[in-house]
Amino acid sequence: MALRHARVLVAALGMAIVPALQAADSPRVWLERMTESLATRNYDGLFTHSAGEQSEAMRILHRVEDGRSVERLVSLDGSGRELVRTPEEVHAYLPDRRVVLVEPRKEDGSLLKAVPAPGPELELLYELEARPGHRVLGNEVRIVDVRPRDQYRYGYRLWLAEDTAMPLRSAVLDGDGRVIEQIQFTRLEMPAHIPASAVEPSVDATGYQWIRTGRRGNVRVAAVAGWRVRQAPPGFRLVASRFQTLPGVPVPVPHLILSDGLASVSVFIEPGPPSGPIPRELATLGSANAYTTTVQGHVVTAVGEVPQNTVRNIASSVVPETGAPPLDAGR
Amino acid sequence: MTDQIKEQISALLDGELPQNEMNLLVRRLERDAALRLAFGRYALVGEVLRAPGGALASAGFAERVSSAVAAGVSAAPSASAVAPSSRRRRATPMIGAAVAAGTLFAAVLLLVPEQGEQLQQARSVEPPAPVAADVEATGAASPTLARSQRMAAYLVAHGEYSTPIGRRNVWTGVLANDPGITRVSYEFSEAR
Repeated sequence: MALRHARVLVAALGMAIVPALQAADSPRVWLERMTESLATRNYDGLFTHSAGEQSEAMRILHRVEDGRSVERLVSLDGSGRELVRTPEEVHAYLPDRRVVLVEPRKEDGSLLKAVPAPGPELELLYELEARPGHRVLGNEVRIVDVRPRDQYRYGYRLWLAEDTAMPLRSAVLDGDGRVIEQIQFTRLEMPAHIPASAVEPSVDATGYQWIRTGRRGNVRVAAVAGWRVRQAPPGFRLVASRFQTLPGVPVPVPHLILSDGLASVSVFIEPGPPSGPIPRELATLGSANAYTTTVQGHVVTAVGEVPQNTVRNIASSVVPETGAPPLDAGR
Repeated sequence: MTDQIKEQISALLDGELPQNEMNLLVRRLERDAALRLAFGRYALVGEVLRAPGGALASAGFAERVSSAVAAGVSAAPSASAVAPSSRRRRATPMIGAAVAAGTLFAAVLLLVPEQGEQLQQARSVEPPAPVAADVEATGAASPTLARSQRMAAYLVAHGEYSTPIGRRNVWTGVLANDPGITRVSYEFSEAR
């Protein structure tokens, strides 16, 4: 009798534990672990960034002290460009241009809500898979494949360290599985402490032009200033909107942010030039694409780490709010 | 311009203007050239206040700022005009009061570094480059440069709303590419 009870108990425990173990090993959990590690751990790494025929060496330092994180990204080749992100601001130092771009930040609950997170709905848009991989930088890794289910988003392949879930290697792939952009660490240390001086910019910005490209605009989910995206590609929803100042633009412009939970697209709506419509323009930078068009006398630019047809589709769908139907969540 | 409008502009720049007033003000800015000029002045003061290492600027600098503002400029003045260092500092509350009163040039000329730093004499400051030249760099006079800076600005702003891995990709692209755009194509059919 006692044996039978014990067997039933073990079986019940087993039924409870096995799904839990499976859940812990699911690709979505690995993505969540990666996101948490990138945001909360100290790290200092060297990596190569490759896009097309270009390859650059970069260094990244991420320091967390008393819950405050500061990140410094440095180009080690040629330009000497640096980007420093503090809880208050992002500074992009462009020595080759003698320019510093300053983007204020507002690290409050509303902004955090606007940052995409890998939720359960992600699997409606992407096929996720996690499997053991070979060693990278001496670490056992888990390979996580994120394959888009349509042509409106890119895929990712991530090589995550088994113990920390840090991405030791990552690739952005197009719909046919071709690599668009790749980041591979050649060294990654995760010390308990990183000195504050390590995340200070090394660029002497004396005499540089400082351009404040943003303001402490209120992050809101409601549409701003009467503009909205009439019909977004499947899965993309408006997650935030605010006003943004841009170099050379005399008024703050609406900035709408759409996301599918993994990829995101920003839309900027600027007053148009007095000379009339400008040619539509498509620009590509690594895995990011930007499409500019003219809508009712305004210049609309959509930019994001998504395929060209997605930014073109979104920019072309921007309309004045009056009389427009609500944003199509696309599902 | 009424005090209420001044307060609204100031609040907008601080991100503290209520949504309904924000929409109205932005629409008014698009219509009213004089208001845009005022907005440019306020933005300019903000840039000066936020520029690293506030210092005493020359009277000529004020004149150039005035000319630039009159030309409808919204870009920040040359950092050289306010003797920057690599660290950002805040100005004293006195400056905030001056700004609130709309006394642009008094604010520019009376910048006081925080933490008891010594004021630098105007003659010790590197001669400021004409503001108009800086504006040219961000405006339409140099399309490639302007496009590059605009694209960088888009991507820096956009990166804040990407996942950590997406942000790293986007920002790495900003650092790795010059002039920032690897391929541009134009579609010359009539835009909507």
